[in-house]
Amino acid sequence: MPTRTPHTDSGSAPGPYRRTVSALRLVVVGGALSYRALFNWTTPPMFIGTLLVGPLLQLLFFVFLGRQLHVADDRFYLLGNAVVSASTACVYGGTMAVANERRYGTLGAVLLSPRNRAPLWFGRAIPYVLNGLVISVFTLSAACLLLGLRIPVEALPGLGAVLLAAAAGCSAFGLALGALGLRFRDVFLVSNVASSVLLLLTGANVPRETLPAWMRALGDVLPLTHAADAARQLSAGGGLDGRGIVAELLTGAGYALLAVVLLALFERGSRRRATLDVM
Amino acid sequence: MLAIEAKNLRRTYTSRTGFLRPRRTETEAVRGITFEVACGELFGLLGPNGAGKTTTIKMLNTLLLPTSGTARVLGHDVASDPVAVRRRIGYVFGGDRGLYDRLSALDNLRYFAELYGVEPRDQKRRIGELLDLVGLAGREKERVEGYSRGMRQRLHIARGLLHRPDVLFLDEPSIGVDPVAARDLRRTVADLRAGGTTVLLTTHYMAEADELCDRIAVIAGGTIRALGTPDRLKSRVQERGILEIEAYGAGEEHLERIRGVSGVHGAAAEERGSRQAVIVQTERGADLHGQVLAALDGVRVGRVVTREPTLEDAYIAIVEEADALAPTDVPGPTDAPASTDASGSTEVAA
Amino acid sequence: MTLVRAVRLIGVGVRTHVSYMSRSPLEITFAVLVPLVYATLAVYLFRAADDPDRLLTAAVGAGLMGIWSSVLFGSGGAVQNQRWLGTLETLVASPTPLSLVLLPITLATAVIGTYAMGATVLWGAVLFDVPLDFAHPLLFLAAVPVCVLSLGMMGLLLAATFVLLRNANALANPLDAPVWLLSGMLVPVTVLPDWTRPVSWALPTTWGSRAVHAATSGGAGAGEVLVPMGVALGLGALYALLAVLVLGRVERRARAAATLALA
Repeated sequence: MPTRTPHTDSGSAPGPYRRTVSALRLVVVGGALSYRALFNWTTPPMFIGTLLVGPLLQLLFFVFLGRQLHVADDRFYLLGNAVVSASTACVYGGTMAVANERRYGTLGAVLLSPRNRAPLWFGRAIPYVLNGLVISVFTLSAACLLLGLRIPVEALPGLGAVLLAAAAGCSAFGLALGALGLRFRDVFLVSNVASSVLLLLTGANVPRETLPAWMRALGDVLPLTHAADAARQLSAGGGLDGRGIVAELLTGAGYALLAVVLLALFERGSRRRATLDVM
Repeated sequence: MLAIEAKNLRRTYTSRTGFLRPRRTETEAVRGITFEVACGELFGLLGPNGAGKTTTIKMLNTLLLPTSGTARVLGHDVASDPVAVRRRIGYVFGGDRGLYDRLSALDNLRYFAELYGVEPRDQKRRIGELLDLVGLAGREKERVEGYSRGMRQRLHIARGLLHRPDVLFLDEPSIGVDPVAARDLRRTVADLRAGGTTVLLTTHYMAEADELCDRIAVIAGGTIRALGTPDRLKSRVQERGILEIEAYGAGEEHLERIRGVSGVHGAAAEERGSRQAVIVQTERGADLHGQVLAALDGVRVGRVVTREPTLEDAYIAIVEEADALAPTDVPGPTDAPASTDASGSTEVAA
Repeated sequence: MTLVRAVRLIGVGVRTHVSYMSRSPLEITFAVLVPLVYATLAVYLFRAADDPDRLLTAAVGAGLMGIWSSVLFGSGGAVQNQRWLGTLETLVASPTPLSLVLLPITLATAVIGTYAMGATVLWGAVLFDVPLDFAHPLLFLAAVPVCVLSLGMMGLLLAATFVLLRNANALANPLDAPVWLLSGMLVPVTVLPDWTRPVSWALPTTWGSRAVHAATSGGAGAGEVLVPMGVALGLGALYALLAVLVLGRVERRARAAATLALA
């Protein structure tokens, strides 16, 4: 934190405690407000339609596709798509959290803030993590009910942890894409393609062993891949494989780091190149 | 036959908020407006933001249904016979939206010519004429995204004129346009009027209205506060003199004190960069210099001038009178019970 | 308005909107890149299923999915897009009936969808060596435009419904996959529960993709292409007619509720 912090709520000479509280406030209050301001799908019909019903129908599409082609069983598609269902909220959310500032013309005002960037941007990602988790849980439960798939009760805590790790990793991924929004105009184009690529490369819908090696390698460094594997193992009664969840968390941490670096880089670059107000 | 005939037009907006427990709020934007515009006349609608100008225009050009009251354009009812009205009117609004940016001016005009029913064999000639008229000839093949605001505005006008409308609605056409472009625009409008087109113009620029309009209606709070030729409106403040004082940091309390001076009819402050212009309307011939300056005690004061009232002063006087009366002067049964703001009016942004 | 003028208006309108959309990198990405991802996915799935004979079906199917997505998002958002551009009021204030103003826009979104078809077939041929052995190449070239036309007319109903019903645009995102599934774009509808069959029959997309698939894969006579083509056109026209009825209401209501300019 800089020593001079004008107009913050922490007073004139903030101690470590007040600084922590102030940063927490930025994370929680700032994050919640920016979610409401910048996320396009917060109205109840949009939320239900785009974030709950949409992924569920997509899941059904792949389940029936799989049944017709006899490539893999229902469980494969169901778990894979339940994990991927968080991606709509997380990838687009992370993108909107940064890129919509440009659309509303408020980006300049945000970047003028003297506050530390890490809590500012990560506070924005947290609502999407929770949102993604809710969607995954909903999709999984609804699909299990519809298709009559049973998941062992003892697998549930582990499954919850896997879904949380997936949502967190995917939000970090979204934030990193959103950072591109500080530099490029049509960043939603990138997130749109990215979220369809996740369908292909994370192995949610195509068994990864049938993909060429380079696609598998790409999948390894994308969010959701390891979570999808771990979730399938758990639901099949295979127990929690700690490595899967750790791999997912590590991937997520990598994207979080990338997001911070990109945000700092583009923020500095935008002052040099005057790309802030370019619509 | 009259070009435009509005009788007691009213318009209420209903907005809903909340999803699970929707709440309806009603806002009265226009509260009974009556006026007539003769064929070939250039009629101005002036008023502050949110006064109901755009709403009035949109009721007349068939985009909005009146909540009550009637309006006719060239004898056709705007509510029940919109297509007949649309064939004979043009609508141009200010700002730089409303064009297909990634297409050329020519493609924009071709498309709208088709929509506005210009005969195919006339299209080429008509588009050429209009490009000449608005000074875009030679640049018609460029994409609109590269156009300046003034050029876009001229393209808007060309678009509005494609089908040779008898009545043209111009809603704040000069907004955000630089002075030279605004002058060209005024010339174009004056030429149109000279050619026999009836024009209904809304604007914020008093000089523009003074120069162009045959008659002016001042709207505030959804009703017409004054209607007449520019000279007649000015005569409302003719018996007054204007004292304009350069000041630095005069607040509402100073204006209040000035208004308390006997012989003063009104006082307003305008920000002009770092300084202010305090404009005091006084009785004509009364020398109130000393008293007014005394009321500004403690404020740094620059130049002081006395001048004749302009249309702008008349306008300010009319609108301030309306403000002083609002909102209690609204007659009628629909006295906005659930009005959201004090003046009870909003204006729909174009 | 005479028929000649109407046809001319539609022609000029489609040309205008196709060139407008084609100049947006965003639209082109939606239309091309995403279907390519789906084509890749489909090809790998069909390969994994040991179904290499049907790789062309996979590529064509992904193309059909792209056409539908383009119509769904483009037509569903047609009115909203014009509102954002600020052109909606000018369009409504024109003496042309609203349905004739909107039909060229929805047809244009279907035409943009053919980029997807071209891209996925080419992608399959170049990257996966999918042989382009169409059973009826000429009929295929006829079936695709007919499919586009019927989907464009269906798009008009989407456009109308999405304006008439508040919040209906929330349906745009979730309607993507079910129509792929119900119309048998990638796999035949036979895997679906029986009760879905009437829904499939009611969709012009079903008949359009049946015609396109029949023209693609062997073993089908010309009749199996032409009949579904006819049904697709008929259903499309029916949807368009319904849309005209809905739009009459839409326009009247928009004038009453002042929703033309406001988002």
